[in-house]
Amino acid sequence: MAISLAESLQVGLSDILLRKVRSVVTIIGIVLGVMSIMVVLAIVNGMNKSTLDWMGERGGLTKVEVRRNWSYDFSRGGEATFTLREIRQIRALVPEAAAFNAQSQLQPQELQYGESGFVCSLLGVYPDMIKVEDWAVASGRFLNEQDVENFNNAIVLGSTVASELFGQRSPLGESVTFAGQRLVVVGVMEPKFMANQGGGSAFSDNALEYLNQRAFVPLSTLLSKIAPQERIGGFDLQAKDPEAARELRRKVNDIVLNLKRGKALFSVESAQEQLEQIRRSTMIFSAVFVLIAVISLLVGGIVIMNIMLASIKERTREIGVRLAVGARRRDIFLQFLMQTVLITGLGGILGIGSGFAVINAVGSYLQLQVLASARMIWVALLVSVGVGLIFGILPALRASKLDPVRALREE
Amino acid sequence: MADIIWTKDLIKDYELGKVKVRALNGVDVTIEEGEFVAVMGPSGSGKSTLMHILGCLDRPSAGEYHLDGVRVSEMDRNQLAVVRNRKIGFVFQSFNLLPHLNLLKNVELPLMYAGLGQKNRTRKAREVIESVGLSDRWRHKPAELSGGQRQRVAIARAIVNNPAILLADEPTGNLDSQAGGDILEIFSHLHRQGNTVIIVTHDQAVAGRADRVIHIMDGRIGNGDLAG
Repeated sequence: MAISLAESLQVGLSDILLRKVRSVVTIIGIVLGVMSIMVVLAIVNGMNKSTLDWMGERGGLTKVEVRRNWSYDFSRGGEATFTLREIRQIRALVPEAAAFNAQSQLQPQELQYGESGFVCSLLGVYPDMIKVEDWAVASGRFLNEQDVENFNNAIVLGSTVASELFGQRSPLGESVTFAGQRLVVVGVMEPKFMANQGGGSAFSDNALEYLNQRAFVPLSTLLSKIAPQERIGGFDLQAKDPEAARELRRKVNDIVLNLKRGKALFSVESAQEQLEQIRRSTMIFSAVFVLIAVISLLVGGIVIMNIMLASIKERTREIGVRLAVGARRRDIFLQFLMQTVLITGLGGILGIGSGFAVINAVGSYLQLQVLASARMIWVALLVSVGVGLIFGILPALRASKLDPVRALREE
Repeated sequence: MADIIWTKDLIKDYELGKVKVRALNGVDVTIEEGEFVAVMGPSGSGKSTLMHILGCLDRPSAGEYHLDGVRVSEMDRNQLAVVRNRKIGFVFQSFNLLPHLNLLKNVELPLMYAGLGQKNRTRKAREVIESVGLSDRWRHKPAELSGGQRQRVAIARAIVNNPAILLADEPTGNLDSQAGGDILEIFSHLHRQGNTVIIVTHDQAVAGRADRVIHIMDGRIGNGDLAG
């Protein structure tokens, strides 16, 4: 019978307690390595979460956007706008889209109600805007197909616009004036909110407040009655699911290119693909930092290996005594391997603890979203124990190969 | 009485650089169960080598060795470790206690490698510590004891597993005559209880206590067996 694993752990542990200072020095490299792995993982996790939140707030991963292509050389001719007719054509070509919204936004102007006024951005939109933006009305209704078909003078207010003009009273059915046009309020949007990341804005803690300062009329009404000189700068679609968004993006891109006679006046992007791109870049970022952490773990491992080798040389006689009273090669091997693993495991636990401290500090001082997960703890623990196993093998093997007679003769 | 040790034509060669040194040159030894034997010889005679082989710390280059009815000369390292653990109790000149363990843990060491549970270990170790007269000291570290006391701990460790033979290498070499006498008395006592005791020594006084003295010279057994 050999000694058990628990026994080896116990022997290893008492050795560590006996040589506290040495053990502490030994594990610093591991602590730092594990700590940096924790921090990097938490930051990457946080970044992914922020991105997803932001994408979600902007209409989710099924969204496809058509916008002016800023990298196109407009001196070659062409204008990055659509007419209402072109928009209708395109809309007819993509019946598979779950939602379709083309919009045109005016420069902020005063919206008037009786004596009071509020400067807001007026947008001409399609009824599907609330689907594309994943938004809803708080009261009344949103614009509908009849409003678009009949060029109705209907308006839906953002929550800030409504409260600034009407206070606590209901604006439904009231008439407001924009650029000389009387418009009837049919609904009020729900407020949008997302906490500001990266050090509060000078204006508001709400990163989406600008959305609450908007008002919406049918696109047809805007272009025919309010601002006939305006053109449509782009449009949004929504696919049935994120996978279909990829296909929809390609199809819309082809349609728009055809319509504009091969000129790439517009860029067509899907949120899904944007997200993948962001993920790829955070992957590269995290890979670099994980590599740095791994290097520091390797250095820590080599330090531990050398200290263990020195320690075994110092303890040759002890090993001889253990061999004399019946320790087998495996017992000696396990004793020293367990000792190394215990040291690195301890380093891992300390690294996890200090990692959390650093994560909290980073989160609160830099106002960066960090997200720790239970999986990270397992990764860190496994990595530190793994380092102990790998770098403990050579010293343990050397100890187990000692010849009993020579070991006993050692001074 | 049965033979506890029986060797035939033991040979041990060492390579010292390019030179081959023959430390044992055909040693035949027979020791009966319950004997008290002293092994004497000048330094370089091969008595340490013989003791290492009899103690299963080393293997002969050639020849046969049977210990307690088992042929051990052909065993591998791990099998020899088990034999040392079960059948042999060592007492060294320099005590060889582990300095960072207390007496109890030192004495428990062979039991641990024998795979005994903690409870039984402690009970057995306390018993033998008591039998060598140190029952009130079991918490102490070796450095807190005198040389004689340390050697008594070493004896306790050697007998805790009820070995077939007790093998002592100059056990009084580092002790004053008073403490040395006490240690020899313990060996005599163990011998009277039926243990087989083998002591390697320079000291005629030590050898005088033995039933029989085996002289070794130039790697061979001399013919000066006192008790024949």
